[in-house]
Amino acid sequence: MRLRVFRFDPDRHARPVMQDYDVPLEPSDRMVLDALTRLKAQDDSITYRRSCREGVCGSDAMNINGRNALACITPLEGIKQPVTLAPLPGFPVIRDLVVDMTQFFMHYHSIKPYVMNDEPLPERERLQSPEEREKLNGLYECILCAACSSFCPPYWWNPDKFIGPAGLLQAQRFIVDSRDRATSERLEFLDDVFKLYRCRTVMNCTEVCPKGLSPARAIEHIKIALLLRKPA
Amino acid sequence: MKPFSGHRAFLLQRLSAVVLLAGLAAGALRVAFGSPVTFAQWQAWSGQPHGAGTLLVVSMAVLTHAWIGIRDVVLDYIHPIRLRFAVLAAVAAGLVLLALWTVLIVAHT
Repeated sequence: MRLRVFRFDPDRHARPVMQDYDVPLEPSDRMVLDALTRLKAQDDSITYRRSCREGVCGSDAMNINGRNALACITPLEGIKQPVTLAPLPGFPVIRDLVVDMTQFFMHYHSIKPYVMNDEPLPERERLQSPEEREKLNGLYECILCAACSSFCPPYWWNPDKFIGPAGLLQAQRFIVDSRDRATSERLEFLDDVFKLYRCRTVMNCTEVCPKGLSPARAIEHIKIALLLRKPA
Repeated sequence: MKPFSGHRAFLLQRLSAVVLLAGLAAGALRVAFGSPVTFAQWQAWSGQPHGAGTLLVVSMAVLTHAWIGIRDVVLDYIHPIRLRFAVLAAVAAGLVLLALWTVLIVAHT
């Protein structure tokens, strides 16, 4: 398998370079992450993140042949060679395929990703009807891999101000949560020319989400909620 | 109250687009099926209350739509704060002048 890998070590390189490797695979190797693991055995200087290796943790999000994806669930079978591996676009590179996600998580924290409810705690738990729980489907599954935000042109243009598709999908997850009592506060926070309305409906986010979610639709629902909300 | 920010701008842009679409459709139908319009006829039409009203509404929709659209492009692509402010100020000044000009045209017919 021929790999072309983005290499950048700030201690050694003035500029990034693309380096080619021939990596012998074993029959058991199925995914791009397996090829990277073989490559790591061949050249231990190569740096990337990975953890669960089954599409749950989101650590190994990267740009594979020009498209953001999780290396652990991207099959090697039929993949175009050389397989070009690059860090997530638009994010500062720390080293090789590892990017700095500080700003991404700052946006995530800004939407207050937890249920806010000051009402007295019930004896056991805050219950939801099946219909209320259903509304969380397509939202709660986000693993914060950043494949969407990193593939979003408006996020490239205003990464410090635009919350981005991942953060906005998470915001919608709490806006529609029947147990949350801060909908008005959340919508007020998002009603901003930068935080929400930089979305140009490019829909790259929905195109690349490895979990099959649609941040674009979540953003659309937030905009509708803003239009329908009652004035304070 | 921020009339040109957040969801209000979003709503204004879409409402103005609907007005523009209606204006364009009416204009296209007039050109396609009506007899050619002379300057005197155009002047007479814009002198009528309904003509002046239509002209003002469509013109304001154009200017509103243009402001929000250009502002969005500027916010996306121009990042130095001073340059962004200067470009937005120039665009706003141009659009205000066009609005005044439109009002003058309507007032003098």
